[in-house]
Amino acid sequence: MSVTQQAIAVGQGFARPRPVRRAWFSGIHGADYVWAIAFALPYAAIFFAFVVYPIAFGLWMGSDPALYDELFADPRYLTAVVNTLLYVGIGVNLKMFLAFLLSGFFMRKRWWSKALLVIFILPWATPALPAYMSIHWFLNGQWGMLNNILYTLFGIDGPVYLNEHWMGLGANISAYIWKTLPFWTIILLAGRMSVPQELYEAAEVDGATGLRRFAHITVPMLANLYLVCTLLDMVFALGDFNATYFVSGGGPAMSTEVLATLGIRYAFTVALPRLGVAAVMSALPLLIPLVILLMRKLRMSEGQL
Amino acid sequence: MAVLRVNRRTMLSGSVGLAATAALSRPYIANAQAKTAVCWLNQGFIPQEDEAMKKVCEDYMKASGNKLDYSIMPFMAQNQKTISALTSGDVPDLVFMDAPSSILPQNAWDDKLVDVSDVVKPYESQLAESARLCSTFYNKATKSRSYYLCPIKQGATPFHVWGDLVEKAGMKISDVPKKWDDIWNFLKQTQAPLRAKGMRKIYALGLQVTTVGPNDGNNLFAHFLIANGGEGIVTPDGKLHTDDPKVREAAIKSVEFMTNLYKEGVVPPEALSWNDADDNNGYHEKLFVADFDGTLSTELAMIKDKQAFYHDMVTLAPEQKNDGTPMKTQVGTGGGYIPKGAKNVAVAKDFMKYFMQPQVMNENLKGGLGRWVPAIPQVVKDDAAFWLKSDMPCLLPYVTEAVLNPTLPVYEGFTPAWGQANAEQLWGQAHADVIKNGMKVADAVDKAFKRTEQIFAKMTFG
Repeated sequence: MSVTQQAIAVGQGFARPRPVRRAWFSGIHGADYVWAIAFALPYAAIFFAFVVYPIAFGLWMGSDPALYDELFADPRYLTAVVNTLLYVGIGVNLKMFLAFLLSGFFMRKRWWSKALLVIFILPWATPALPAYMSIHWFLNGQWGMLNNILYTLFGIDGPVYLNEHWMGLGANISAYIWKTLPFWTIILLAGRMSVPQELYEAAEVDGATGLRRFAHITVPMLANLYLVCTLLDMVFALGDFNATYFVSGGGPAMSTEVLATLGIRYAFTVALPRLGVAAVMSALPLLIPLVILLMRKLRMSEGQL
Repeated sequence: MAVLRVNRRTMLSGSVGLAATAALSRPYIANAQAKTAVCWLNQGFIPQEDEAMKKVCEDYMKASGNKLDYSIMPFMAQNQKTISALTSGDVPDLVFMDAPSSILPQNAWDDKLVDVSDVVKPYESQLAESARLCSTFYNKATKSRSYYLCPIKQGATPFHVWGDLVEKAGMKISDVPKKWDDIWNFLKQTQAPLRAKGMRKIYALGLQVTTVGPNDGNNLFAHFLIANGGEGIVTPDGKLHTDDPKVREAAIKSVEFMTNLYKEGVVPPEALSWNDADDNNGYHEKLFVADFDGTLSTELAMIKDKQAFYHDMVTLAPEQKNDGTPMKTQVGTGGGYIPKGAKNVAVAKDFMKYFMQPQVMNENLKGGLGRWVPAIPQVVKDDAAFWLKSDMPCLLPYVTEAVLNPTLPVYEGFTPAWGQANAEQLWGQAHADVIKNGMKVADAVDKAFKRTEQIFAKMTFG
């Protein structure tokens, strides 16, 4: 066993065995029991009012099978499902991969990388609505900044980006990545900083190069964190409405609509909130396994961050 | 220093005391509530509109002794909040909105609104016909139409033209023709001379052939349809008439004319993916010469720019259809409505009775600088000094179009199905099918009609 493997094994030794679960009320009797309930009640009430009730209400609103008949009859629905899968699949995975690479870059100890990090965080710190509207304007074919730069520098007229399905969808996904990439980069950066330096030192003693240290220490130590972040962001992306609504507006011809924007359109443009809820609820078969997987991953953390 | 010690006894006695206080004060709170109405008012486009709304509320409170617990919120937020309230049942006593053309038909259909006939009937004979038609909706439960909106104001759609650019192109505003298509054909000629004078990226027409919406593209198409004789596509009984050859011909002519303008290059290419704010912004930046857009918000947004507002911008009312008969533009109606479940319907109705008085209505709409015109036409004639002789150049053509000329109500008043068809941007899709997918105009129209028929088939009257 190499020094590195021994070090990792020592690290795993710190992982505590899962404690035996005790009944929550054991050891509480009489008046203490009543008081325990009295103090727990407000929390239970808040949980019921702000978590259980809205979810139950949403499920009830979307419970009529006729809504789904109506939904499936709408030609825009299938397009929205495909777009949602592309949006989540590409948007999340590409972003997490970039965040992983960038977190390595920002581990550098040079002063300029710290300064760059501050600038890099700005898109995340900017409120979503003006940021996405700026991108919408940035991409405007006639008076947008991008085409004006192209004309000024090269004398060419750029395309009308948001008139094309793939460019519109690409713009939405890019905007979403741009906006949230800093957040996940910081999370992974924090993860990288938590990896014990002894592991890298031990690897160095073993003669491991930068790439091998990356493959045998950084990747396994961050794998769990990476997966949890990816799952979390998939949940966020599934419900994301802002990027599509404010960048492409679902256009051209509703071809870049995702389930979240379609749901909002039903609910608030046509005043059919139940149909809107049904559109969003139709993402549950994808959402529930994601959440279950996420919960399971959060319970397993031995030997990883 | 005295230290408050909290133990079980003090906590229990405190809780009991609080509960007793709450129980004993209930009658007084209930009594105060009986005279208080919660009102959600929509924010205007200009600050003067909000001030006018506050004034009418304050004046009512002074006159009646009742209290209005009012809040002013942006239109989109109010729209979402109201739909959520109507869905959950936790509703305000009154919602006051600009042209609520999607919420009202759908919720009246679903029997979620209070019948306000007793408020409107005393003024019925004075109301514009379009205001009456935009305030009555079909209720699926009662199987009849009734008043669910107390109409206060109406808004029409005029042409907004940069007169200085027309002059710069070597043409005259006074030469603008009267017929619908001729107006567009006249204005499109401004592009070439302006580009020749160095305005490299200017376009002639801000034609909203948008597939994104939500409103402008549908509104524009409806007016093309009317100008081409297809105004009977939906009748006040809520029936769709896409099987009428006259309607189909009008739709084909409309799509053909609009898509041809786009293909000629006199419309910004991104108009296909504009949202409702894009054409306003483009117009204000003088990126095109003219557009056709609802109310006077386009002009009033620039009221601080005296040169633009008083001299450069020209507002034109459409005068004639393509067959030379008078053009009827569509008007939307705004006002107050009461959700079922409202705790204080009496005060809400009383406030609307107060608001519908012609002089109150007039003062409120004048305060908003005439972006909306009164639902009672006589108000305009009685206060000609403001409505017809104002120094604001945009007002007279707008009032002429919205009040003095014949008008039509928006089709959403006849059936919620039209709102759903519009939400799918079927007409924008038809334009895109022709422009981008190379579809024949007739096929694109038939495709849109087919989907419209499917949507209408879900809504059966009687």
